[in-house]
Amino acid sequence: MFSDYAALIVLLPVIAFVLTLFFGKKLYSGGALLPIAAIAGSFIISLGIFLEIYPTDGMVQQSLPWFAGMNLGILIDPLAVVMLMMVSFVSLLIHIYAVGYMAHDPARPRYFAETSLFTAAMLSVILSDNILQFFVSWELVGLCSFLLIGFWYHKPSAAAAAKKAFLVTRVGDVLFLAGIVLLYVNMKLLVDNGTLVVESQSYILQFKKMFEAIPLIDGTQLTYIALLFFGGAIGKSGQFPLHGWLPDAMEGPTTVSALIHAATMVTAGVYLVARTFPMFVATPSTISAGVPDALLIVTYVGGFTAIFAATMGLVMNDIKRVLAYSTVSQLGYMMLALGTAGTVLGAEAVGISMFHLLSHAFFKALLFLCAGSVIHAVGTNDIREMGGLFKKMKITGTTMFIAALALAGIGFPFASLGMPIMNIGTAGFFSKDAIIEGALEYGEVTHDMIPYGFAIIAALLTSIYIFRLWFMTFTGKPRSERHSHESPGVMTGPLIILALFALFFGFSHVDFNGYLEKNFELMDVNIAVHEGEAFHPSAFLVLLPVIVGVLGFLISYSIYNKRMIDMSKIVSSGNPLYKLLYNRYYEPKIGADLIGVKLTHDVVARSGEFVDRKIIDWLIIDNIISNTLFKLGEIIRKLQTGVVQNYASVTILGVALLLVLLKLKSGGT
Amino acid sequence: MNFTLLLPEILLTILAFVIILMGLLISDKSKNMFGYLSAAGLLASLVYVLGNGMTGKTNFFYDSLVIDPLSQIFKLIFIIVSLIAVIASIEYFKNNRNQDEYYALLLLSTVGMMVVASANDLIALFVGFELASMSTYVLAGFEKKNPASLEAALKYFIIGSISSALMLFGMSLIYGITGSTNIPAIVEFFRITHLSAESSLGILAMIFLVAGFGFKMALVPFHMWAPDTYEGSPSVVSALLAAGSKKMGFVAAFRVLILALVAIKVDIQYTFAILAIITMTYGNVVAISQRSIKRMLAYSSIAQAGYISLAFVVMTQMSVAGGVLLALGHALMKGGAFIAVAVVSYMVLNDNKNAKNTDDLGNFAGLGKRAPITALSLFIFFLALAGIPPSAGFIGKFVLFYSVMVEAASQASSWLLIIVTIAILNSALSIYYYARVIRYMYVLPPNGERIKEPVPYVIAILLAVIGTIGIGLYPEPFIQMAINAAQVLGVR
Repeated sequence: MFSDYAALIVLLPVIAFVLTLFFGKKLYSGGALLPIAAIAGSFIISLGIFLEIYPTDGMVQQSLPWFAGMNLGILIDPLAVVMLMMVSFVSLLIHIYAVGYMAHDPARPRYFAETSLFTAAMLSVILSDNILQFFVSWELVGLCSFLLIGFWYHKPSAAAAAKKAFLVTRVGDVLFLAGIVLLYVNMKLLVDNGTLVVESQSYILQFKKMFEAIPLIDGTQLTYIALLFFGGAIGKSGQFPLHGWLPDAMEGPTTVSALIHAATMVTAGVYLVARTFPMFVATPSTISAGVPDALLIVTYVGGFTAIFAATMGLVMNDIKRVLAYSTVSQLGYMMLALGTAGTVLGAEAVGISMFHLLSHAFFKALLFLCAGSVIHAVGTNDIREMGGLFKKMKITGTTMFIAALALAGIGFPFASLGMPIMNIGTAGFFSKDAIIEGALEYGEVTHDMIPYGFAIIAALLTSIYIFRLWFMTFTGKPRSERHSHESPGVMTGPLIILALFALFFGFSHVDFNGYLEKNFELMDVNIAVHEGEAFHPSAFLVLLPVIVGVLGFLISYSIYNKRMIDMSKIVSSGNPLYKLLYNRYYEPKIGADLIGVKLTHDVVARSGEFVDRKIIDWLIIDNIISNTLFKLGEIIRKLQTGVVQNYASVTILGVALLLVLLKLKSGGT
Repeated sequence: MNFTLLLPEILLTILAFVIILMGLLISDKSKNMFGYLSAAGLLASLVYVLGNGMTGKTNFFYDSLVIDPLSQIFKLIFIIVSLIAVIASIEYFKNNRNQDEYYALLLLSTVGMMVVASANDLIALFVGFELASMSTYVLAGFEKKNPASLEAALKYFIIGSISSALMLFGMSLIYGITGSTNIPAIVEFFRITHLSAESSLGILAMIFLVAGFGFKMALVPFHMWAPDTYEGSPSVVSALLAAGSKKMGFVAAFRVLILALVAIKVDIQYTFAILAIITMTYGNVVAISQRSIKRMLAYSSIAQAGYISLAFVVMTQMSVAGGVLLALGHALMKGGAFIAVAVVSYMVLNDNKNAKNTDDLGNFAGLGKRAPITALSLFIFFLALAGIPPSAGFIGKFVLFYSVMVEAASQASSWLLIIVTIAILNSALSIYYYARVIRYMYVLPPNGERIKEPVPYVIAILLAVIGTIGIGLYPEPFIQMAINAAQVLGVR
């Protein structure tokens, strides 16, 4: 019954967007209630659909013709339904929280309208049943992120960050679009030579058709397509080397950061890879035996990003920037999971990666909202100016600690060690453990332990930077004389709900993975799994993720709480390693200044400007064409005398002229 | 005979008479209800037309009226335009003591247009034409105390009468040649007797018909009345004229000219090509130098008529479908744009009761701040008129230009390619004058406070916006409808 209203999942927030935009000013709290009600509706429908299709392993498929052999459609399979629930739920909590957070902003209607559209776009990405609609929604997500990051557009840094986010993700989007075109060309060729049959009610770029076509497409082409798609995912999910925009995107309101980092936008990249996963698995293995090329690249890009971003997270002093690098790093984990587990476990990888995506969504939204709560209270982003806040902000402090535990993956694998109790831990423990285990198995099978190394080291760094953040914010002596207070209930409420999820969501991992594993079978896609002998790592290897997590906690505890080491000596501008990290590997300099300013602006834009200003304008504005047209317009205007007799004469003249024309044409008789 | 398919016409006619009668009985104060009543009637008709007979073909009254996909899609256009105009009129003519006559005339003109859309007989066509014209003559001069409005109506009436005379003369010639007024019978006659290009009488008849329809379509050189009339009439009436009554000329031309031209195989392509090119270029070039936005819109709608006329040049199924689509899109965009101008006039008159030239470009300065909904909608209409996706304007132009290109390729004719290139260049040229208004609305500082946009205007404008963007986002059913309509004409 809920499935019939699947379209409303997207339409409700869109309607809320329109209404809030136009009438928000007159409504309570800048019209916040409309998006909240709409997204709550989306969540309820998503939940209803989940309850309908979960017991029967069903899917929801709806489709309408759009134009020229393309369609608009809805595909809700296990993969989509869990994403729908997560996105609508987290977005709902963030919207509720924003009622408090944005309470003093005069531009609230615009804020709520835009976040509502943002959510709608993301939901539409998730339930698209074809790659074109996926791309259109994907672009809409990009547009909304541009609007929201630059929400305080009067701030030059916000405007610059919005532009950067838009342009950097655009690089990925162009690749993605190129991938779609290449895919279309290949599928069209198959259709034209009769290898692929497009039945009625079926369309060429639908995921179903696409998966059907995968075995038929030439391997090299398939690798290109998969990598171009992955290029889009790199841009959206902030993977190396297109990660630069994500930390800068902190210039928007903190709630927007929470939306971008947890529920919408960045997860779209991972979702894209998961959605088109059969294609990545089907690419030929030419670089490393037994590993599909596309997955190998996904693994290395993800793994490298995980560790690369985590190192920068260690030294940032802006509370939101630490979290931003953490997001980049965790997204790297998800990519890594798709790559490694995809190689050795096949379809299960989607479950593992998506499980981390979801648990990350909960604890990262929580971290951002806690950060927002702290910023709201103390009025600064700099953790060096905080400290000792725990006494004043018990709820925020506790929930943030829970989130930190989840991010660090703290828990204990009783059952995996053979003990008669179940594994106990935070959401992050279950999800990250599965990824690290997948990477380890990948190492065993392919004798390539580098991804595993990436995963373990990044886990250690994660634990260090997040507890550094927590200790510096909440413990020790207050380092500034600011009046701080706990946030109102409308803000702490969502924190508590998210904290419960960060704590307990992990226990659903068996059912979750089992459910998502079936995803592609439902679409008649079989993903080959390399069945090896059962994999039993030693107790040490099982415990290692937890050990590094606790180790990170202890390191941070001793440095930042007990102050056993004086960091100020190490953290000085004289230390080259610190400088390198603090300046983000000089990537903004290289990326923004060298490539952005020098190459793009000075060379390309300047020459374009020259052509436009000197040549085009000379033709159109100053001279020939425009002047001629303008004068012509003036002359003809004078013909329009306003005297009705003239009008009548022209009409009759026209008749005569037509007669002459036709007579001339027909030769006359 | 099953008259249920004619219910919309019957309903609207009865409603018009009821309004006139009630107008005599009730006080001037309660006359504001007529707007709502008319809107309700039009809405009911709209729902009825949508729900019934978008396909299939039924004849009425000894084959003088026909309900087929072509008539239905144009009825849809007329009803939507009237609906938009009526909703806006609720505000525009609020507390006017002659409202009863206004709404009755508006409904009758709509009925006239609808009769033309389903006319299968020259007499029915002419009667419908005149019903719509007579009503709109009065509507154009409805602001009795405004000299510009009276001048507009008078010019419209005089040129309209000449055109009607020419058209009637053409029809009588055709009757003289064929001995019938029934359109299929006429076509059949031409087909059998091969009375083709050599017949001076046939050509003369054709030309007179082109002149008569061209008057409504505002094709150059039969367009002279249009800028003056659109500028002088009340904005809501301009919306009706530009968006609705203009399309009446097109549906008549589709019904009579295309059928007849296909039958007599006159090589009239070149003539129409020249007319279309002159019309679109003329419209766009003159629009550039206008400061009155209503005049600018008038010239832009002359240009649009030029694009639509391309359908007569190639006369393929695709091109007629494109013409129908552009007519539909243009009705929404232009109707909405005129209503938006009405909001600006309302705003200016709010500032200064005796303001002249309320649609002057200068009054649009900072409109984005003063009337954000109107400004944004106008922005959308302008982009759509310029043919930027996703909009109805884009879909219409795309299908139309594409069909000409396909024809150019299949005939391997370079002149068709030249024509389509000129059309596309024209489309680019039009962006100039639209962008100028957009610059005024969003870049220049406002010269007044923010106003409260009256709700009826907002509803009317948003209806048009939704239609414009809706067709752009989801064109498939509309393209299908237009193709169905084109099939009626039996072109390739």
